[in-house]
Amino acid sequence: MTKPAQLNLAATPYGDEQQLIADLIAGDDRAFCEIIKRYQHIMLAVGRAIAGDIFADDIVQDAWLAVYKNIGKFEQRSSLKTWIMIIVSNEAKARLRRESRRVSLEELDGEVPGSYLDNAGFSSDGHRLAPTPFWHNESPQELLEEKQLQQCINKTLDTLPPTQKAAFILRDIEQESFDNISNILQVSAANVRVLVHRARLTLMQVIDRFQETGTC
Amino acid sequence: MLKKYRLSCKEVSHLASDYLDKTSSTSLNWKIHLHLLACSCCRRFIRHLKITRQIAPPLIQQASPEIDADSVLRRIKERQRMGD
Repeated sequence: MTKPAQLNLAATPYGDEQQLIADLIAGDDRAFCEIIKRYQHIMLAVGRAIAGDIFADDIVQDAWLAVYKNIGKFEQRSSLKTWIMIIVSNEAKARLRRESRRVSLEELDGEVPGSYLDNAGFSSDGHRLAPTPFWHNESPQELLEEKQLQQCINKTLDTLPPTQKAAFILRDIEQESFDNISNILQVSAANVRVLVHRARLTLMQVIDRFQETGTC
Repeated sequence: MLKKYRLSCKEVSHLASDYLDKTSSTSLNWKIHLHLLACSCCRRFIRHLKITRQIAPPLIQQASPEIDADSVLRRIKERQRMGD
């Protein structure tokens, strides 16, 4: 099975995490900029997933300050990325407590109308009422070249519920384990799997539409 | 008697990611596999999900905006200086 692509870290000056950590502890600005470039996007996604859009920027700034102050105490019992994700997750949870807000996992409740999991798409015994659409192009290499599809996928990613989006990014882009994602997002591992599945299905629907119409 | 070994298309749709991620149990995997042998629609569904899983992450990464890491670092240092 082909694994989802990983960030091309070899293209950065730090292929070796040990060197990166050593430089961070030594206070090297270049090393700190490197981790900001690597993790800022996913930190924002985690902050949004836990505490909502309004607080995400503040949470990430607070998390970076905590990383900057505490990097000397990093004991390497986890990867640097996991350590940073736990920090942003803790900052987001602390903010949530301060704001006395509760974020519901409403994206786990019920099925989105028109989605592949919508009850309306199945008979009472669970068989499909309509066949799965055909794709005229099933070549991943060729689909990766489609600029219009890239725009459609990214536009849709931004419309996903925050927890779904964060779970998807952590799993399929950052390739975190379900257990790690469960710790970071404070959602059970089973629910993480549901969130990731729903995000994938929504993106698959984008490809369906693109195959049929050539647009989003 | 065979019914307990059979999954419906709906169940397979719900379990498709677990199947691709290899997080479902051996017996469930076997049931999904049996269903796929008989159902071309679900085979296509799983194939499309697999392609989605393969191409969506690189399409997203290619479009990620550049981060201005210098200005983020500057703000961190300012906050530290101010005793945050």
